[in-house]
Amino acid sequence: MIRMQNVVKNYGANTVLSDVTFEAHEREIFGLLGPSGAGKTTIINILTKQIEADAGEHDTGVTTFETGLMLDEDGLYTRLNCLDNLYIFADIYGIPKEKAMQALKKVGLEDAAKRQVQKLSNGMRQRLALARAILHEPRVLFLDEPTSGLDPATARGIHRLIETLRENGATIFLTTHNMEEAVKLCDSVALLNKGKIVEQGAPAEICERYGAIKTVPDLESVFIKLTGVELE
Amino acid sequence: MRSTKAIFIKQAKDIFRNPMILIEFIIFPAVALIMTELIAKTNDAIPPNMFVTMMASIFTGMALIPTMAGIIAEDTERQSLRFLVMAGVKPHQYLLGAGGFVLLAGIIGSGVFTLIGSFTAEEALKFLTVMILSAAASIILGAAVGILSKNQQSAMAASMPLAVIFGFTPMIASFNETIEKAASVLYTQQMNVIVNDFSANFPLAIAVIAANIAVFSVVFAVAYRKKWMRTSAR
Ligand SMILES: Nc1ncnc2c1ncn2[C@@H]1O[C@H](COP(=O)(O)OP(=O)(O)OP(=O)(O)O)[C@@H](O)[C@H]1O
Ligand SMILES: [Mg+2]
Repeated sequence: MIRMQNVVKNYGANTVLSDVTFEAHEREIFGLLGPSGAGKTTIINILTKQIEADAGEHDTGVTTFETGLMLDEDGLYTRLNCLDNLYIFADIYGIPKEKAMQALKKVGLEDAAKRQVQKLSNGMRQRLALARAILHEPRVLFLDEPTSGLDPATARGIHRLIETLRENGATIFLTTHNMEEAVKLCDSVALLNKGKIVEQGAPAEICERYGAIKTVPDLESVFIKLTGVELE
Repeated sequence: MRSTKAIFIKQAKDIFRNPMILIEFIIFPAVALIMTELIAKTNDAIPPNMFVTMMASIFTGMALIPTMAGIIAEDTERQSLRFLVMAGVKPHQYLLGAGGFVLLAGIIGSGVFTLIGSFTAEEALKFLTVMILSAAASIILGAAVGILSKNQQSAMAASMPLAVIFGFTPMIASFNETIEKAASVLYTQQMNVIVNDFSANFPLAIAVIAANIAVFSVVFAVAYRKKWMRTSAR
């Protein structure tokens, strides 16, 4: 479904992605893992056609309209309330306005529907950004670090929502540098370091391959074994 | 069309929650009203429409240019524009929505100035025509500044001098003949020429304003091609 083949991206003399190949299947939660600066956001930007790759092929299997997006910057209109932020996009997509409230309910923001974005907490803003991403019920959802900076309870809520979305047929492509999150949530992962995929597969499988199953699968130690780089 | 309308509505909702911008649209007509009622109407030495003209050109420069530039720069800086584009909004649809709203605000402002002034029907029509064309000129110029600006701060820094030049030159020109001659190439000055003397050459004034619009459109087109062309290809 979502795939990249031999993708290269340079910024001047700086090679950000050197030869990236991976595949994410339909209806799975796919995690792209790597430390800060590995190139995760760059990969999302290429897949969503916001920037162009210098070489290689890539495809998401869906149109822009079937794509939902949550980036590191939320781009919300801070003076408007939650509902008005979603109405703008409902109008653009040409979908019924009721979908806005439905999306807010899904992320547990229905009580804050009329609250101005600038008065929301970080976690609430992030959930609103997620509501905007799922508003038009996209088939593929790109989430760039959807739980970064959130408290564990809010993060768990987002995990549950992501799982529900997959059960309803969506494919989720997320990035994270939280290995625990990846093991718990993802059906398959790719480990990215310095613009290269160093390993990919189901989290438990990968851990088994590298003898990293203690009480829980320990993807983190696999990553350190492969790259010598610690994640956080 | 759907997208243009969505952006237009977004802008309409936003302005009432944005006191900084809202005040600019209210203050200049308000000052014109107060000065006209308190000073111009009670003092025979002062032309009845002096403050209307003065404030109308300040409004056209100071309210419209920075507002248009600010909207685009804010949406760029906060990455809102990125989400709009990803949702399928084309850059020209965005600009039409945002520019259309500022134009509507400009037209409403022009209407208010017309009501404050003492005009015959024909004069009012001439005044409205030059005002609305001038508003369009300001919006195109502001859009070019907005597209070229990285963030709101640089948009403010770039649009303020332009706003001051176009907004205040007519007022200064009324005190100095040399400045008046030089200023006659400015669209806001032509607005003043017409209102101060409705028997002045109206087609010439319209031609000068149109020439201003043409120049701003070229600047705008260059900015658009340079910064946004790639966006529209998506
Ligand atoms: N527009 C740009 N110009 C130059 N270099 C860039 C640009 N965007 C990204 N980079 C570089 O590309 C590399 C990868 O960046 P990217 O944002 O993809 O990393 P990331 O894995 O998302 O990191 P993080 O976890 O911090 O978000 C970094 O070294 C970054 O400095
Ligand atoms: Mg990133």
